[in-house]
Amino acid sequence: MTEPVDATLDQLTAEPAVLRLYRQVFAVLAREAGAMILDPGLVDIDEAILEAFAEAGSDGLTAAEAAAACRRFDPREVERRFGLLRDYKAISKVVDRPNEQHYRAAFAPYVMLLFLRRLAERGGQSELHQLLTLEQQNASNPDAVAADGKASISRLTKVFRLLANELASMVQRGAAEALRENAQLLWGNRSLIAQAEDVHAVVLDRWPGLGPDCASLRIALAAYADAIEAAAGRLIEQAGTTRALGFLPAETWISFARGCRPEDLAAVLDPFVFDAPAPWFSPQALSEAVESGQTTGVTRFRPPRPDGSQEPAETDLGPADDSADLRATAERLLGSHTRVSMADLLDEASDWPTCRRLLAEVTAIHHHPELEFELIWGDGLRIDPRSCPSWVSQGWFRRSVRAGTGER
Amino acid sequence: MNQQETALWWARVRADGPQRVEPGGPVPPGMLRLVEPDAAGVWLLPALPDSAGPAVLDELGLQGHVLEHPNDTARVLAACLRCCWTEPTGPLWPGAVAGWAQVASVFTAITSRDEVVSHRALLAAVRRLDRSGWLLWDEGTRTIRLGPRAAAWNPAQVSALRELWRSMPAPDLSAAQIPEDLSQ
Repeated sequence: MTEPVDATLDQLTAEPAVLRLYRQVFAVLAREAGAMILDPGLVDIDEAILEAFAEAGSDGLTAAEAAAACRRFDPREVERRFGLLRDYKAISKVVDRPNEQHYRAAFAPYVMLLFLRRLAERGGQSELHQLLTLEQQNASNPDAVAADGKASISRLTKVFRLLANELASMVQRGAAEALRENAQLLWGNRSLIAQAEDVHAVVLDRWPGLGPDCASLRIALAAYADAIEAAAGRLIEQAGTTRALGFLPAETWISFARGCRPEDLAAVLDPFVFDAPAPWFSPQALSEAVESGQTTGVTRFRPPRPDGSQEPAETDLGPADDSADLRATAERLLGSHTRVSMADLLDEASDWPTCRRLLAEVTAIHHHPELEFELIWGDGLRIDPRSCPSWVSQGWFRRSVRAGTGER
Repeated sequence: MNQQETALWWARVRADGPQRVEPGGPVPPGMLRLVEPDAAGVWLLPALPDSAGPAVLDELGLQGHVLEHPNDTARVLAACLRCCWTEPTGPLWPGAVAGWAQVASVFTAITSRDEVVSHRALLAAVRRLDRSGWLLWDEGTRTIRLGPRAAAWNPAQVSALRELWRSMPAPDLSAAQIPEDLSQ
């Protein structure tokens, strides 16, 4: 059978679940392990074949006619399933003779199929309910004897023990995902237990001698109820961290979001009220804005800021340095001498501004860490009222000792 | 109108701003009923006491509704007030219909900036104010009216606004229509 092109992940995950159920149901009939169907679609073919026989009437069908009635499936698959159904005697020859071409179908396989379909759709809950109803009818039947009651109680005990065991082992050891996939074991269980308790009450009422059997049924029911509690607790615990989104696979949410109407999506926000945009303008704010409108009307731009995108040139990095100029000045002042008197230097200058500049330059040279000149002031004082600086302290400007040329 | 309907109307106003309803319907308690000039509709506006109004936010130093360009928006509202409030001795609502050019002329006069920039700011502010119910802006006919929220100012505030009205330049009633290409 060809794979449907638009199979969503949901359907793909649902198929193994259906298959698993089929396997479980037929496990009691399987001849050997691994011979079970691998594709739930095959069951559709079986159903189609059986339907064809139902249409055909009492004359039956030949294999070719049955294949023709199932044209919508792959003919080879139909042939294979036909052969298989014949091997299991679900389809048999109308008359048992070598050259008989016509076959007839038994009704039991179809009933089984119907049952399977229901089981796959509803997880077997309703079947269990009906079973319990039947058991109650059997137990309350006036013709029933204690053996019937005992058998009924023992069947129910086994069903509930199996249910409880499966659930409990999943809670204790299984992954939460497995628990979620089998969540149908959790649904509607209260009424199941209640119905089982009804049967139990009827049986115990009619045949008090079955007390021990009834006790085991009570134990099985209690175990089932405990397992349900534990499973529900585990699911809720897991849902607490995932905001309950984990209850469904992510693809299911996506399918929902794709397929639903905007109203359905918007319904999520129903309990919320969004405030309308409601700014408030006080008259003071209006007045201030109007008053400031004139003054700030001209858009003022920020002064440009360095954006740091390009590195400044290397020469800009160091502090401004005029050592070359200062050195030239010092050489000019000293000439060929190793030292000159400040009084002589100042005499060469004509007026006070020049003297002042000269003093500033000489002081700067003295303080410059890289220049090997120094300015030394002594105790002497020269006073001459006619010259421009009327008094000059005794000072010497000379090459410094650090330069190695010192005369000291 | 029972309690549940009243609550529902207040919730609608909270979620959707002032509500325009058919005239003749019941008015929820605590709401102002503002009739349109042509009586074709009625605006329902919550009438909050001064101790519960939006001005309380300022007193408490709390952040109110955050508005883009609050100063420009306030200036545009003032300009519309100057144009639509033709009778400053009377109430604000319903006011008169003002053309786009009138409002633009006042706004230009109180801001003195480049025409294109000013126009863009004006259009943005008018749309903002229209969304929040301070103005009713008919984009098709390019006319502006004061919105129902303007009726929420109390008498003291209205008198302050009257002072503002007097201090503002009058609209240029002969203003030519702004060319269409500037409206974008």
